[in-house]
Amino acid sequence: MDMIGIAIKITILAAYAIIGTCTGLLFMGVGRKIVARVHNRVGPPFYQNFIDVAKLLSKKTNISHGWIFDLALLFSISGILLTLLFLPIGGVQLLSMDGDAFLVLYLLAIPSLGFALGAGASGNPNAGVGVMRALVMMLSYELPFVITLIALMIYYDTTSLATIVRMQSINGIKSWAITMPPFMIAAFAADMALQGMLMEQPFDIPVAPHEIASGPMVEFGGKYLGSLMLYKAIALVAETTLFVDLFLGGGVVAHGNFAFIINFIVWLALIFLLFVLSILIAASFPRFRIEQAFGFYWKYEAIIAAISLIWVYIMVIK
Amino acid sequence: MLDIIFAELVVAAIITFFVREKLAAIIAFFISLLPLLALLDWASNYGFNLINLGIENHMKIYLAGVTLHLAITPLSWFFALMILPLFPVIMLYSYSFFKENDGFFALMLLSLLATFGILLSRDMLSLFLFWEMMSWSSFLLVYRSKDKNAIMSYLIFSVFAAFAILFGIIILWHENSSLLLSDILNISGKLGFVAIASIITGFAVKAVIMPLHAWAPFVYSKCDEPFVAFLSGGLSKLGYYGIFLFLFSLKGVDILQNYMTNVSWNYLLAVFGALSAFFATLIAILQDDLRKLLAYSSIGQLGYIAIGFGIGTPLAITGALFQAFNHAFFKAVLFLAAGIVAYRTGKWKISELGGLAYKMPFTFMATLFAIFALAAIPITSGFASKWLLYEAAIQQKYVFIAPIMLIAGVGAFLYSFRILYGVFLGENRHDSVEEAPKSMIAALFILVLPLIIFVVFPGYMLDLMKPALEAAGIESIAHTKFAIETSLAKYNSIAVLITLMVAMIPALVIYKARKHRVTSFEDNYLAGEPYELHKPAMHAANNYYKPLKKVLLPYLEPGATYYFEKIYNGIKCVSNAVRRIYTGYVQDYAIYVVLFLLFVMGWLIWI
Repeated sequence: MDMIGIAIKITILAAYAIIGTCTGLLFMGVGRKIVARVHNRVGPPFYQNFIDVAKLLSKKTNISHGWIFDLALLFSISGILLTLLFLPIGGVQLLSMDGDAFLVLYLLAIPSLGFALGAGASGNPNAGVGVMRALVMMLSYELPFVITLIALMIYYDTTSLATIVRMQSINGIKSWAITMPPFMIAAFAADMALQGMLMEQPFDIPVAPHEIASGPMVEFGGKYLGSLMLYKAIALVAETTLFVDLFLGGGVVAHGNFAFIINFIVWLALIFLLFVLSILIAASFPRFRIEQAFGFYWKYEAIIAAISLIWVYIMVIK
Repeated sequence: MLDIIFAELVVAAIITFFVREKLAAIIAFFISLLPLLALLDWASNYGFNLINLGIENHMKIYLAGVTLHLAITPLSWFFALMILPLFPVIMLYSYSFFKENDGFFALMLLSLLATFGILLSRDMLSLFLFWEMMSWSSFLLVYRSKDKNAIMSYLIFSVFAAFAILFGIIILWHENSSLLLSDILNISGKLGFVAIASIITGFAVKAVIMPLHAWAPFVYSKCDEPFVAFLSGGLSKLGYYGIFLFLFSLKGVDILQNYMTNVSWNYLLAVFGALSAFFATLIAILQDDLRKLLAYSSIGQLGYIAIGFGIGTPLAITGALFQAFNHAFFKAVLFLAAGIVAYRTGKWKISELGGLAYKMPFTFMATLFAIFALAAIPITSGFASKWLLYEAAIQQKYVFIAPIMLIAGVGAFLYSFRILYGVFLGENRHDSVEEAPKSMIAALFILVLPLIIFVVFPGYMLDLMKPALEAAGIESIAHTKFAIETSLAKYNSIAVLITLMVAMIPALVIYKARKHRVTSFEDNYLAGEPYELHKPAMHAANNYYKPLKKVLLPYLEPGATYYFEKIYNGIKCVSNAVRRIYTGYVQDYAIYVVLFLLFVMGWLIWI
C-alpha cells in the first residue's frame, strides 16, 4: 500500500473513532433524559455527558495510586478504541478483515482488564469487591452470548464479522439473521447478554449506583474518571454495534456509490434503538443480586441460546 | 555427539550431588545448556526444516543385549525446542532459590537426561526405558516434598501409566514384531484399538487430562516451585508428545477409526479435553492456595491441547502445538513467580498476601505478561493458539466443544485476576519485602521472551512446527510472517499491535494533559486516620468469589477425586480381607500348605 492509501486509511479510522466517542456520549445523555422521563423527572440536558467529560478531564487535582493505577486510564481508552475499529460499522469494514469475532471478544477484555488492574491497585477493598462482581457478571453473560455467536458462525460458516455482515446484506433487510426463526430466539438471548455487557439494570450490580459505596471506580477521580466515562461511551457503541453486525446485517440496506451514508444512518438508528431498548428495560426492572444474575444467565438464557444453537445445527447438517 | 551429551549429563548429575549448592547450580546451568546446543547444531547441519533426516542418522546404543535407537526427528526437534529451554532457566532460578543442596540439581539433570532420551528415542523400548527413568527421577523430586498425598498419588498414577504404556507396547511388539518407531504399525481390529487406547491412556496421565488428573493438584501444590515449573511446563508436554507420536506420527488415529467406523474416538479425546478445560477452570476460580489455583489452571490450559489433538484437523493440531509451546513458557513463569512470592514472604494463601506489586515491580511485570498469555489477550502469543483452536472447532461444527472452550477462556480471566489482585495488588501487608534476586528475575524474563516474539511473528511459530506436521503427513495452514489465514477468517497480529499503539496516543494525551499526585491509599480510603486505630479490613481477598462459590460448589463437589476415593476404599477393603489370611500362627500356615497340596493332588487326579 502506498503512503497516500495509508494516510487515507488512518484518517478514516480516526474519523470513526471520534464519531464513536461522540455518539456514545450523546447516547448516554439522551439515555439519562429518557430514564428521567420514565421516572417522571425533567432530567439533565442531552449534552450533559459532554460537559461532564470535559470537566473531569480538565480537573487540576488528580489523585493517582502509582503506575499500575495509571494503566487503567491507558488501557481502557486504547483498548476500547481498538475494539471499535475491528468492528464493521454501517458496512464499512475498517480493520475487520484483519480479525474476527473471537478477536473482538478478546479485545473487549483489554480495557476491562486494565480497568480492573487500576481498581485493584487503588487498594480500596470496595473496588476489589466491585471488580469481583464485574468479573462474575462477565462469566455469566458470556455463556449465552458465545452460544449464540457460535450458532451464527456455524450457520454462515465463517467467524469473520465482515463476512457475516456481507452475507446478511445480500438481499437487504430480508437476509438479516434476525428474520430467521432460530436467530430470533438467539437474538433475544444475545440482547439479554447485551444488557449485562452494558451493565444496565437488572445487571448493574458491579457498579450499583445509589446503593453502596462500592464499585470498581470508587477511587477514580478527575482525568481517571473522565477517561472511564469515555470508555463507557465508546463501549456502548462498540457493544451495540457488535449486536447489529451479528443480527441486523450491520445496518446495511443499500448498495451503490453513496450507499454508505444511508447505511451509516441506518446503523446509527439501529444502535440507538438497541440502546433505548436496554435503557427502558433498565428503567423498569430492579437489580439482580450477583448470584441471581449468574443463575439467570446460566440456566434460562443458556437454555434459550442452546435451543437456537441446536436448531441451527440441525439446519446446517441437513 | 549424543553419547557425549548423555555421559556428561550422568557425570554432572553425580558431581552436583556432592558439591556445594551454588557450585552445583552453576555446573547444572552450564550442563543443561548442552542439549540446547545440540539442537542448534542439528538445525545448522540440516537446516530448519529437518526433512531429510533419515534412518542413517540413527545412533545405536547396545545395552544388555538390546539395541536402543536414538535419532532426532522433526517432531522431537519441535518438542525439544519447547521443553529443553526450561532447564537452564530453572537452574538459573534455583541458584538463589535453594538454601542447601540436597540433591535437587542431580535429580533435575537426570530428568533432563530422561527428557532428552524420550525425545530422541526411535524405538518403543528406549522410549519406555527413558520414560520410566523420567518417572523415577521426577518421583524422587516429588518425594522431597514429604507430603504423603502427593507422593502416593504420583507413585500410583505413574505406575498405572507405565503399565498402560507397557501393555500397549507389548501388544504392538507382538503383532508387529518390530519396535522401531519408523515402521508403520501393521495392526488393526480390536487388538490395535486396545493397544493404542491403552498407550494414549498412559500418556494422558502425564498430560493431566481429566479424569486422570487427580494426582496433579497434590503434586503441583506441594513440591519445590522450580520442579513444578518443569512438571507443568515440560513434563506434561512429554505426555502430549507421546499422544502425538502414537496418534498422528504412527497413524494410530486410523487404527482407532477403523475399529468402529461409526464411533469417533478422537471426539472422545476432545470431549475429555473440553471437560478438563471447563471444570478445572471453575475449580481454579474457587481456590485460595496460590499453588492449587495454578495447578487447576494448568489442567485447564492443557485441556486445550487435548481438544486440538481430539479434533485432529490440521488447523486444530497446529493450534494445539502452539498452545503447548505457549503453555510451557507462561505456566513456567507463573509457577516460578509463585515461588518468588513464597521465597520472599513464606506464604501461599492468596488471602494472606497482597500489595506486592510496588515492592516487586519486575516480578509483577513478568507475571502480568504471563497472565496476558494465559488469558489469551491479543498482545501476547497466547491468543493465536486459542484462536486457532476456536477456529478449528467452528470449522468442524463441534457445537458442544466450542462454547465450553470459549467459556473456559472467560473463566481464565477470573482466576487470573484473583492472582493479580490477591497477591500483587490491594493492601500492602509486607513492608519489609524486597524485589527477588537478580537471577530469578532474569529467569522470568527469559521465559517471557518467546511470548513476545511469537505475538509479533505468529507465522514463525507455524514455520517452526511445519516439518513436524509434514513428517506426520499433516498439511500446514496458510500464513505469512504476521498473519494466519483459515477458511473462516484471518488474524493479523501486526494490525492489532500497531492499532493498539496508535490508539495509545489519545490515551497518553489525556494522561499527560493534567498532572497527577500519587498518594498512598491509606490517605484516601481512611481519610488520613491512622491505620492502627481501627485496623479495618483493607484487602477483599478472603473468599473472593463468594457468590460464585455459593452457586457452583454443590455442582463441583462430587468430582473425579470422589470416584478415585471410592476405588481406593474398595481396594482397601479387599486388601484388608486378603490380609486376614496372614494370621501369624504357624498352624494356620501349615493348614494352608496341606490344603494347597490336597488341591494339587485332587487337580492331578481329576486330569
